[in-house]
Amino acid sequence: MFEKVLLNLLWILPFLTVLFSIPIKENSPRLKRFHLASAGIVLLSSIYLLVRVFQNTVSNTSSQFQLLFETKFNWLNAISANYFIGIDALSSMMLVLAAIIIFTGILATWRLEKNQKIFFGFFQILAASVYGVFISFDLVLFFVFYEMEALCMYLLIAGFGSGNKDYGAKKLTLTLAIGSSMILAVFLGIYAETGTWNLLKLSDIVLPENFQFWAFPILFLGFAVSSSLFPFHFWSPAGHSAAPTAVSMFAAGVMMKMGAYGCLRIAIYLMPEGAKIWLPYLLLLIAFNVIVGPFIAMRHKDLKFITAYSSISHLGLIFLGLAAMTPIAFRGAALQMVSHGFLTGLFFATIGMIYSRTHTRDITQMSGLMKAIPFIGVGFVIAGFAGLGLPGLSGFVAEATIFVGSFENPSPLCRVITILAILSITATAIYILRCANKMLHGPLNIPKESLPQAYFEEKCIIVFYIVCLLILGIFPAPFAEFLDTSIFPIYSNLMR
Amino acid sequence: MIAIIPDILLLLFPFLMLAFKLFLTQAQTAHKNFAFAYLFILLICQNFVLIGDTQVYFSNWQIDTFGIFMREIFTLSALLALLLSENYFKHSMSEKPKLFHFSEFAASIGFATFGGVVVVSANDLLTLFLGLELATIPMYALVAWNKRDSEGTEAAIKYILMGSVATAFELFGFSYLYGFAGHLTFPEIAQALQTNQASPLIWISVLFIISGIGFKMTLFPFHLWAPDVYEGAPTPVTAILSVTSKSIAIAFLTVLVFGPLNAIHQEIVPFLALLAGITLLAGNLGALSQSKLRRFMAFSSISQAGYILIALLGNSPEGKYAIIYYLFLYTFSNYLAFFIFSTISKDQSETFISLNGLSEKSKFLAIALLIALMSLAGIPPLAGFFGKLQIFTAAAENKHYFLILFAVLNNVLALYYYIQVLKSAWIDKPAKEIALSVSTKQKTIILILTLSVLLLGFLPFLSNNLSIALL
Repeated sequence: MFEKVLLNLLWILPFLTVLFSIPIKENSPRLKRFHLASAGIVLLSSIYLLVRVFQNTVSNTSSQFQLLFETKFNWLNAISANYFIGIDALSSMMLVLAAIIIFTGILATWRLEKNQKIFFGFFQILAASVYGVFISFDLVLFFVFYEMEALCMYLLIAGFGSGNKDYGAKKLTLTLAIGSSMILAVFLGIYAETGTWNLLKLSDIVLPENFQFWAFPILFLGFAVSSSLFPFHFWSPAGHSAAPTAVSMFAAGVMMKMGAYGCLRIAIYLMPEGAKIWLPYLLLLIAFNVIVGPFIAMRHKDLKFITAYSSISHLGLIFLGLAAMTPIAFRGAALQMVSHGFLTGLFFATIGMIYSRTHTRDITQMSGLMKAIPFIGVGFVIAGFAGLGLPGLSGFVAEATIFVGSFENPSPLCRVITILAILSITATAIYILRCANKMLHGPLNIPKESLPQAYFEEKCIIVFYIVCLLILGIFPAPFAEFLDTSIFPIYSNLMR
Repeated sequence: MIAIIPDILLLLFPFLMLAFKLFLTQAQTAHKNFAFAYLFILLICQNFVLIGDTQVYFSNWQIDTFGIFMREIFTLSALLALLLSENYFKHSMSEKPKLFHFSEFAASIGFATFGGVVVVSANDLLTLFLGLELATIPMYALVAWNKRDSEGTEAAIKYILMGSVATAFELFGFSYLYGFAGHLTFPEIAQALQTNQASPLIWISVLFIISGIGFKMTLFPFHLWAPDVYEGAPTPVTAILSVTSKSIAIAFLTVLVFGPLNAIHQEIVPFLALLAGITLLAGNLGALSQSKLRRFMAFSSISQAGYILIALLGNSPEGKYAIIYYLFLYTFSNYLAFFIFSTISKDQSETFISLNGLSEKSKFLAIALLIALMSLAGIPPLAGFFGKLQIFTAAAENKHYFLILFAVLNNVLALYYYIQVLKSAWIDKPAKEIALSVSTKQKTIILILTLSVLLLGFLPFLSNNLSIALL
């Protein structure tokens, strides 16, 4: 019962926080502390829920998700939509990831000077939307949460961002809206075919093959828009480079995972026939992300562009895992979702810290930063190492699992792309090391007085993420087995 | 007998307004308070006459559940329009009011509202036609209410000319329908359609009827009058044009399509689907490059008309339910936007530029604007999204997947121009500072409307009650 209430509170609490923050004085320290406390409570409850789910999950061999702590009641009777939330292994992991990113996002914005009420308010609504996405198992409810972010994203980026912010914000919001429109259209189709929005009920119903054939690519690509699969990747560099640090962390760390999560949990799960027909062709799009992404990153000088393209290539690896359609590849994809969330969060957080000191993100104009701000420099390098798959950090575990899994797929195309993807890791190493070398080493070219040491909250963020990366990197086995309980139903549905 | 009492009360309203001014008092405040109270009580009365079965009075005055909900929408819209217009009649020290003669203004709105009631109560073509005319003619006068404003007069003339042509189309279509069925009453037309083979005569009739109502509903290609008229008319009248006038037109079409023409519903559907799709696109493309708020709202409401039309592709009870639900939510969102525009435009012209710096001047208004526009754009969890969801599910049940995909992709276009407005209000800095004064009353109304838009869709209350009554 306690867990049930906690699960509902996950998305209600952010809204209540916004409501109760209205009377607090604008830009006062109390306001920040209030929001941080709320995010902290959510973080603690999500960790508690993870532990509880971990204890209660048994190995699963059915094609049904093992939902715990369900809450279900009728919501909109006219279209038979239910309020149906629950939690299983995959969602509990994603919840912890989201909660960590939201918590550190608020810390990363600690020194925002004006309009805090608006920023934190919208940021909390974003938080509510992702928590909702990961726990809702009714398609209408899922979509409501999924699309809610469009409400705040534009204003957060255009109002608080930097550089070409209006352009970036519009590009991001509208491209994501295209994706969610495609999703909504297919959801309506699914409802019209089956008469239910309930994900668990839907898994028992086999959708007509003809419908799957048309609907699967639309749904998959609709979700892939927010995970920046080629050719929908263009919003990501523009959006990330314009967004404020916390929003970049959020967008790359959680929002882009929402798409991959939807692909795995809804598109592949509900339309296995369509997946079998289309995924081999979609591999060609994925190849672009995985192989060309790192090379584009190599040519860029703006730190956020580099990170955006690195995200594009890492998200490509998730999709490679999905498209390979083997249980190990799925497991790798799920691990990569979590692992990339942590490393990209650390990446964007350190970039934000560097930018707030140097006021430039051009790597050719910075040098020797390691001498002035070693703490942040080390954080950046560790994020980079995790990104290029250094053993001991989470990136290696996830990527290696994906490669093993996708090589198991006997199709020659999949194997060729896997080999190319493994080789492209070298390209990743090149741009990350080049970046670190140019920026951190060499003579210091900026007066040391303008580069204050890392503040306490910044140290907290960096330590926090490094711990997460290490935990997942050194002890991956329990997490991998845990995630398997969510992945096996999807795979067995696929093989049915 | 009880169901007809609100209708009689509504019919009395315009006469009482006029009599009040003639015989009792000239004080405008009294007129206003009387009008608000009367309509508010009427709205509550209408709520209490929810009847299950269709009741017929005076042989052809038919009251059904659909009609009752439409009545509520019309009355709600009239009440909100009068509240919105209040400031335009206000005398202040510094400036003259923009509009005069409140009680006549209210009476005209009352007549137009009663016209809507006649449309939804009609049981034969003649009554239907009378209702539509009763609803339209006061609108001509309302558009030109500010007689010293040349733009308003121009708009009114355009509106009259277009409206008369539309009426002629309408009557021509009706005459063919009569010629085919030999009767004016709905049941007999329906029977004639069921027993006889559909002849070309029917298609000519349907074509003309839909073209005629297309003018009033601003469907493509009959939508071009709307931007000019919306821009020329005073703001409260624009609001009532975009809500009441549009709801009456959609009610008219619903009464016909799900009533006498139900037998050939499947054959009309492709035609309606085409019209809906093109209207959506035309409205959205038109709105992309606007810089005046009322013109922008005209195009936005054209595309909303396209969305409502999609509901007619569904089957009868679901389609009617979706229309009512959507119109309720649309009324709230649209009036919220107009209330905000009117508070801003008190000292300036209604352009995007005059919105600049709104977020600095009043966070409350800026957030209300965000909620209104995002609701019109159909972003969850706001009301507009749920309205659209119901419409799409109604259409999806008849497997119009392609149109749905087209319509939801059109939403992206719509999102773009609503974001343009938000950008003016939130991001752009004003050229010169103009202080903003909002009265407590206006603030209260905006707050109530904002809360309705926020909660009515997400909380199941409205949806479930409507579905119990209608489905």
